[in-house]
Amino acid sequence: MAAIQQINKLTVTKSPLLQFFRYRGKINIQRPQPPHYERARVMAVTQPRYLEEPKTLTCFEKRAQRNQTQLENPYNAIIAREVRNWLDHSQLVAIYHLNSITADDIFRVRVQLHKQNMHLKSYGRKIIAQAVAGTNYEAILPLFHSNHCIVFSPDQQRVASLLRITRKVPQMVLLGGIVESTLLSRNQLMEYAQMPNLQTMQAQLVQTLNMAAGNVVQQLQAHQCNLVRALDVHAKSETTEQQQQQEPAEQTPA
Amino acid sequence: MSVPFSGTLRRSGGVVSAIGKQLKSINLKGVKRITVQFDPFAENVKATREFLFLLSTPKVSLTNPKCIVKPDIVCDRSPAFVKFSLIESAQEQIKAKEIRFNSENLNTLELLQLCNKHVSTLAPPEEITNKVLTKAEKQKLAGGAGGKKLAKKK
Repeated sequence: MAAIQQINKLTVTKSPLLQFFRYRGKINIQRPQPPHYERARVMAVTQPRYLEEPKTLTCFEKRAQRNQTQLENPYNAIIAREVRNWLDHSQLVAIYHLNSITADDIFRVRVQLHKQNMHLKSYGRKIIAQAVAGTNYEAILPLFHSNHCIVFSPDQQRVASLLRITRKVPQMVLLGGIVESTLLSRNQLMEYAQMPNLQTMQAQLVQTLNMAAGNVVQQLQAHQCNLVRALDVHAKSETTEQQQQQEPAEQTPA
Repeated sequence: MSVPFSGTLRRSGGVVSAIGKQLKSINLKGVKRITVQFDPFAENVKATREFLFLLSTPKVSLTNPKCIVKPDIVCDRSPAFVKFSLIESAQEQIKAKEIRFNSENLNTLELLQLCNKHVSTLAPPEEITNKVLTKAEKQKLAGGAGGKKLAKKK
């Protein structure tokens, strides 16, 4: 019993004494009582003082610069990373100047391009600048000063179809592109579209290389070939004469 | 002693409103063809590209549907220019076949202002066709007084 009572004493909780000052009535906030002089003095001394920069320094700065409240949005970094990803993994990147175009028309172009495995995208200049800063792609920055769009494609054989689709769209003006990490101007890009595929070009290269050695062989064998040809012609003419002589001889006995 | 008032009563809306104001008064009726040539990798091409964009907007292109705007991209870093090929009546007016703006040192607002100054003035004046009156309009004009008396009687 004594032990239980001791434990009980330890666990006894005493509630604090509550004295209620307000009961249901509305509080007064609009006409506060003027404070006591001492309190007023302390409050006056403890008022916070915010110092402003001298206006001569900040006169021509814009408000955002003055207040420095505009923080860089971290979403921009995410989009910049996406742009960088697209640039790294596309073999073909074509950049267009975009004139005033309806959403309907641009959607039609987007669908046609999508069927050819090409992706039409557009980003802001600041984001592209952030994505491209310090890389090899910095050279394309001047193309983005005005309204633009970009076409990415993972394979570079599609240049001809890209040009064919965008030729029908007068509002899209080709400015330049990157093919296999080589910056090409508009004319170069159009020449690239005219070229046949890689295998044909490799075959042409091999042919050109072989031509050097083949030329030497041909020149060495030239005289022999001429002689053989002349003998051939002579032999053929002899056989035809013999045949002609034999035919009348056969006919006369018959 | 008070100083007489000098200055503006209203603040200007900035470059964008100025450009908008110029665009409202642009008129391409005197132009047959506009050629905008620029090298996208050259410096100072932004104004030319913006001008090209503004010319392609529906409001401006509707002033003359027959006028073709042709962008010309070159790769030799030559300076950008805008060439307006004029129609015959405009050519007679100023004794020249085309107007050319060398735009590498002009900004968009200046290009538009020059365009309004030189090109929009060459638009041939619109002919006022006879307006066809509908029946209701004719009744309104003719029976203005008679109609009112009829209504009161009713």
